[in-house]
Amino acid sequence: MKQIFVKPEKCMGCRSCEIGCAVQHSKDKNLFSAVLQSPPPMKRLFVEATHEIRMPIICRHCEDAPCINACISGCLYRDEKGFVRRRKERCIGCWSCIMVCPFGVITRDKEKHIAVKCDRCHKLDIPACVNACPTGALVLVDIDDMPKEKRLGLILAATKREV
Amino acid sequence: MRHVIIGGSIAGISAAKAIRGLDAGTEIIMISEERTKMYYRPMIPLIIEKDEIDITFTEDPLERYNIKAVYDKATDIDVKGKQVLLSSGEKLTFDKLLIATGSSPVIPDIPGINGEGVFTLRTMDDALKIKRYSAGKKNAVVIGGGLVGIKAATALKHLGLNLTIIEQLSQILFQRLDKRGAQIISNVIKDAGICVITNDSVSEAVLKDKALNSVNLSSGETIKTDIIIIAAGSKPNLDSFKKSGIKTNRGIIINENLQTSIPDIYAAGDVVEYKDLITDMPSVSALWTNAQEMGSLAGKNMSGANIKYKGFLGVMNSTEIFGIPLISVGLIEPEGGDFDVIVDDSLESYRKLVFDGDVLVGAVFIGDVTNAGIYTNIIKNKIPAGRLKEEAIKGNLSYINFIRTVPVQSLLA
Repeated sequence: MKQIFVKPEKCMGCRSCEIGCAVQHSKDKNLFSAVLQSPPPMKRLFVEATHEIRMPIICRHCEDAPCINACISGCLYRDEKGFVRRRKERCIGCWSCIMVCPFGVITRDKEKHIAVKCDRCHKLDIPACVNACPTGALVLVDIDDMPKEKRLGLILAATKREV
Repeated sequence: MRHVIIGGSIAGISAAKAIRGLDAGTEIIMISEERTKMYYRPMIPLIIEKDEIDITFTEDPLERYNIKAVYDKATDIDVKGKQVLLSSGEKLTFDKLLIATGSSPVIPDIPGINGEGVFTLRTMDDALKIKRYSAGKKNAVVIGGGLVGIKAATALKHLGLNLTIIEQLSQILFQRLDKRGAQIISNVIKDAGICVITNDSVSEAVLKDKALNSVNLSSGETIKTDIIIIAAGSKPNLDSFKKSGIKTNRGIIINENLQTSIPDIYAAGDVVEYKDLITDMPSVSALWTNAQEMGSLAGKNMSGANIKYKGFLGVMNSTEIFGIPLISVGLIEPEGGDFDVIVDDSLESYRKLVFDGDVLVGAVFIGDVTNAGIYTNIIKNKIPAGRLKEEAIKGNLSYINFIRTVPVQSLLA
């Protein structure tokens, strides 16, 4: 299974991923019309920074996803590829998913009155955020090519800490 | 191996899912009093107000997890003989049993309240009955200003009825919102045209020509009504095993493995009494999310796992009332003690954070619920805020603030 891997040390904070995401989720999937769309299309990931680290915060499509567990309407589900997705028509805007997502990556569409989250661009080979990233801070990796030890090493280095 | 589950709502379903996930071959039998297709219980108020809404599980859990359903009521449990007795007279043997019987509405002792036109709102069937009965009716009274009462009132208001909510305490949404938060929501409800009466209670339901006519309040006031909805809280369904020897208090007492006093019998959901993470006291939770978590853990432990349940947040609510989103988590109205309470009360939103020293123990968000889950997570896991206290107060708390302190394992997921 391919997953999005974040390399904070390569993130410049340019927010290209946010723009790529919003455009992909706009009506025409085109930057120029997306800019004019009203209300503007919503991004599903968020570039955040402290004085020590900078990176986009993305949906992890958690294995035991708190958002699916908390969903009281049958909207959130895991699709056949393993992605945590919405059945938009079932969302009633109760915001239970927002209450429990520890990453803060679910937001409210105030117009449509439904929860908005990453769909891992399930129709695309490469997610829009990865495609938009000019520095390689967001990469798509096959989880089998990235053993746990390697991931652990990268995480420790990126978050500047020791085991 | 035969797993029997009493109760067909979220705790039972989550347990069945967990059991099936660990054991493809084991037999799972679910005893349910409700014959309807399994559904999302918190959605039932919407049945009243909407004509076409599907609140059932999109994939039938019975099929998906290969569960055999028995539509009956469990009347007793033979602990020694490992059998569940059913009202049909049949007996069902089990190797492992889960009690997930949930809770039922509390019916206050009010004269005249057991006649026609009086309803509770607990099941899909209740909602359908209310919907049918309310057709062509003008006035409705809701007893209880909790979440169920407000949702029932909202639904009936949408159908065009005149609504009055009567709450005996001084605030609505007691234990769900702090006083100020409740005041804000009360105003929202009143602005929507619903009458909210606090500090008063229904003393009598008055019939006229055998039909419900009005309610008398303790204050002396009389309110004309065609319908009464009772939403005065819920209590664990303990009746069916009072004689069984399983230890109960307010709910069934469980240990950290979700076992009852009888090792092969587990319990989960609204029926359980267990530790509230904030007060550290035994408590009964009537929340979907907690029932889901308990059911899932119980199911895993019934299948041989050994996962310890730390406890639940008694307050962990999220909803929207007349377009205003609200989320409340943890200790929201501290009394006594040395708490640091930070409030941001503006026209657009209301935010309240309660700190015990460095540790965030409670949060209320009304109007703007952005990133609420980050707060829930640090409350639930008692992650010290430390230097982040200021960020939290400003409302700038982000997951990135924890990236260097959260367990590495959680980043590897």
